[in-house]
Formats: sequence, structure tokens, C-alpha cells
Amino acid sequence: MNRVLSLIGAPILNLALESGRIFLLLIDSILWIFRPPFRWKLLIKQMEFIGANSISVIILTGTFTGMVFAFQSYIGFHKFGAEYMVGTVVGLGMARELGPVLSAIMVAARAGSAITAEIGTMKVTEQIDALHSLAVDPVQYLVTPRILAGLLVMPLLNSIAVFCGVVGGYFVGVKILDINRTLYLQYMYQYVDLSDLYNGMIKSVVFGLILTLIGCYKGMAVSGGAEGVGRSTTESVVLSCILILVFDYILTAFMF
Amino acid sequence: MENIIIEMKNVHKSFGKHQVHKGINIKVPQGGITVILGPSGTGKSVLLKEMMGLLMPEKGEVIVDGVDITKISKVELVNIRKKFGMLFQNAALFDSMTVYDNVAFPLREHTKLKEKQIREIVLEKLRLVGLKDVENKMPSELSGGMRKRVGLARAIVLEPKIILYDEPTTGLDPIMRDVVDDLIYNTQKQLNITSVVISHDIDSAFKIADYMAMIYDGVTVLNDTKENFKNSDNPYVRQFINGSKDGPIKMF
Repeated sequence: MNRVLSLIGAPILNLALESGRIFLLLIDSILWIFRPPFRWKLLIKQMEFIGANSISVIILTGTFTGMVFAFQSYIGFHKFGAEYMVGTVVGLGMARELGPVLSAIMVAARAGSAITAEIGTMKVTEQIDALHSLAVDPVQYLVTPRILAGLLVMPLLNSIAVFCGVVGGYFVGVKILDINRTLYLQYMYQYVDLSDLYNGMIKSVVFGLILTLIGCYKGMAVSGGAEGVGRSTTESVVLSCILILVFDYILTAFMF
Repeated sequence: MENIIIEMKNVHKSFGKHQVHKGINIKVPQGGITVILGPSGTGKSVLLKEMMGLLMPEKGEVIVDGVDITKISKVELVNIRKKFGMLFQNAALFDSMTVYDNVAFPLREHTKLKEKQIREIVLEKLRLVGLKDVENKMPSELSGGMRKRVGLARAIVLEPKIILYDEPTTGLDPIMRDVVDDLIYNTQKQLNITSVVISHDIDSAFKIADYMAMIYDGVTVLNDTKENFKNSDNPYVRQFINGSKDGPIKMF
């Protein structure tokens, strides 16, 4: 009986423990945003790393998603002769859902994993202890700049993804599938609102927080040498992606 | 003994079920080199980390300069840490920064000095540890011994009152070991600070120590001056000094 209970209890305890630690790290790093010293240089560096260096990936992701989406929705609309609605659906889909989610998942895979690997390596080579020993708080020095950069940069990346998706959708819809250009654009203008864009922007801010926070947390939690760094990096990407999808649902339900 | 700068009283620490410290009592007198000896895997590095509050003991007191650091806030602890410099086992240099930036790091963090003054201090400290023309190298381009020296330069750049050395001579060849021993000795004499060295190297210990302590199985076996330590008839100490596998210390 005891073994059965502990079999159920252990993972639940673990989950509670881990979410508690992530939450504490979040609080700690947010407090450091408002307390000096402010790390402008590190912030800019992280914005470059998380943001600027992700642009090519985001352009590709956005464009191809928009293009595929145009093809797929065309099949449906073609059945009742409403092909000109493809633009609307691509615009709405990219702005509200695909832009924020896919760009966040790509950035989690690219930058989130790198954050975990970098901080994790610092942990196992005692560089985090060295920071402590030099009276510098690692959360303030390493975590806060990354989280802040994630918050600022994700909405920008999202807007690039949405723009590229809409352009890709237009290309497929109008140039390849020969939908009437005027109708395509007219319906898109008419039905895609600024509020749809805001909606996606809010999501991508939250996703930016998730992927940097989890990246940092998993890095700080590394133990056990090179193998540990590898394990944490995998866990970081998996957990970030899952949380992005879960919070996508929660945010969608709230802003419905 | 004279002025005590660090005192550990009845310190207990465990990791999971593994009890590392079961009542450590160590006194570190001011202005000398205290070498703490013990067989590998007896929690010596943990001891060092407890001294500057990188790890907290579950029970017991760690008194640094009159303050029990197990009972103070995080902010106060950060201020206490400014009294310390620490040389890590593998130097723990920031591998994304050049040697120069590594040594300049504490100055940029904790002082308002101009870059010109920082440059002077950094080069002076590098000279003090016997290095020159390495400022622009990355840590990965240096040998183990050079990395340790850069680590030491970084540790002393803010002129701390206490320097902690985590196994400074482990993994070095005999000549380099002598060089590092000299470095520890001279640094202490030149800056007139307190040094604590963790080691299992009995030869270096006798060369540089003013005071010695030995820990085994989570407790302090002996903590005394070098002379008394050398002449002690404690069976644990004798076995360790003689480097014999027979005696009360069991490695299995």
C-alpha cells in the first residue's frame, strides 16, 4: 500500500516542487528588473541573441506556414466557391494563433536550448559559484537580462512571422491558385482586425517569458556534468513547448 | 590562539541521506595560512563553500568576522562575501570573457573606478601572480596552471581579507605545484591576509601552513598549529601524514 501511494505521490510532489521553484525564480528575476544595477549591455546582447539571430528562422517559418495554410484552406473554401476567403483565414490564423505559437516554439528550440546549455555549463564548471563568490547575484546577472530580452523580443519576432505568413499566403492564393486579387485583399482587410493582432502579441509576450524562464531554470538546475547539461537542455525544450501549448489554450480561452 | 576570523561550531550538513558533516569545529586565526586536510570525498570543498555561505549548513554556526552568516539575510550575505576571494579547483574562470575581463569583473561590479585605473590594477594583479601578455587570451587558451593564476588574480583583485583555496595543487605537476605553493605563501605575506587552503597534499601543507586542521568522517580530528600537528600522536593524523593504508582511516 505504501509503495502504491509513493508511486502516485512522488511525481506529484516533484511537480509541485518544480513549479514552486520556477515561480520563485520568476519572482526573483522580476524584482531584479526594478533594482539597480541595470544591465543594459547584457540586455542588448541577449536581445541580439534571442531576437536578431532568430530572424531568418522566423522568416522561413512564417512564410512557409502562411503558404501551406493558403493551400489547405483553399481546399475547404473551394467546395462552396468562397476561395476569396482564404486571405481572411490566413490573416486571422497567423495573427491569432500560428504566428505566436510557431515563432515561440522555434525560438524555444533555438534560443531556449542555448540558454539552458550555457547556464548549465556555467553551473557544472562552478562559474555560477564563482559569481556568488564575487558577490554578484547570478539571477540578476544571468536570468533577468534573458527574461527581459524574451519579453521584449518575442512580440517583434511574432510580427515578422505574421507579416511573412500573410505575404506567403497572398503569394500562394493570388499567384498560384489564381484567386481574385481584389476580393482576396478586400475580405482580408474587412475581417482581420487590429484586435486580432493584439491578441497574438499578448500571447507572444507570455511565450517569450515562458521560454526564457524555463531555459534559465533548467540551466540553473543542472547537476552531473556534461550528461546533465544535455539532459537539462532536452527537458528545457520539451517543457517550454508543452507550456507554450498549454498557455496558448488558457490565453485563447480567456481572450475568446 | 589569537584573533579568530572564521569559526565553525558544530556544523552539520547532509545531501539527501548522505551525511557529509557531523559536527565540524574549526577555528581560522587571522593573518596566516590555515590548511585543512582530509582524505578525498570527505566534504572539504563543501566546508569551504559553507565558510562563505555558498552552501548553508543544516545545524551549527559559521561565524565570519564576528557575524553568524547562517542567520543573516541574503543582502547581508552578499556584503559578507565581499570580504572573501575564492580560488576554485578548476579556477572557474568565465569562459566567455578574456583574461582581462575576468580579472576586471569584480572591479567593474563593485567599484566606480575609471577604465584606466581598472587597467592598472588588473595588470598589477596579473604581474603579482606572475603573468604578463595574457590579457587578451581566452581562458580556454591557457594551461591549467595559468588558469589557476588568473583565478587567483581575480580572487585578490578587490583585496579581500580572506582567500579560500579549493585544492589549489591538485592535478598539477610537481614543479607547478611548488610554484602554486609559493604563490599562496607570497600572496599571504605580501597582502597580509588570511588564507584557508583545502588540500590532501601533505607536503605542500607542511610547506605553507601556519595552522592545520584535519577532518575525517564528518568531524574535526585535530585543529592546531603546524608544529603541534606535526608532532601529534593522534592515530588518524599519523596515518594521514605517513600516507599508510593501515590505520583507523578506512577507505572502503
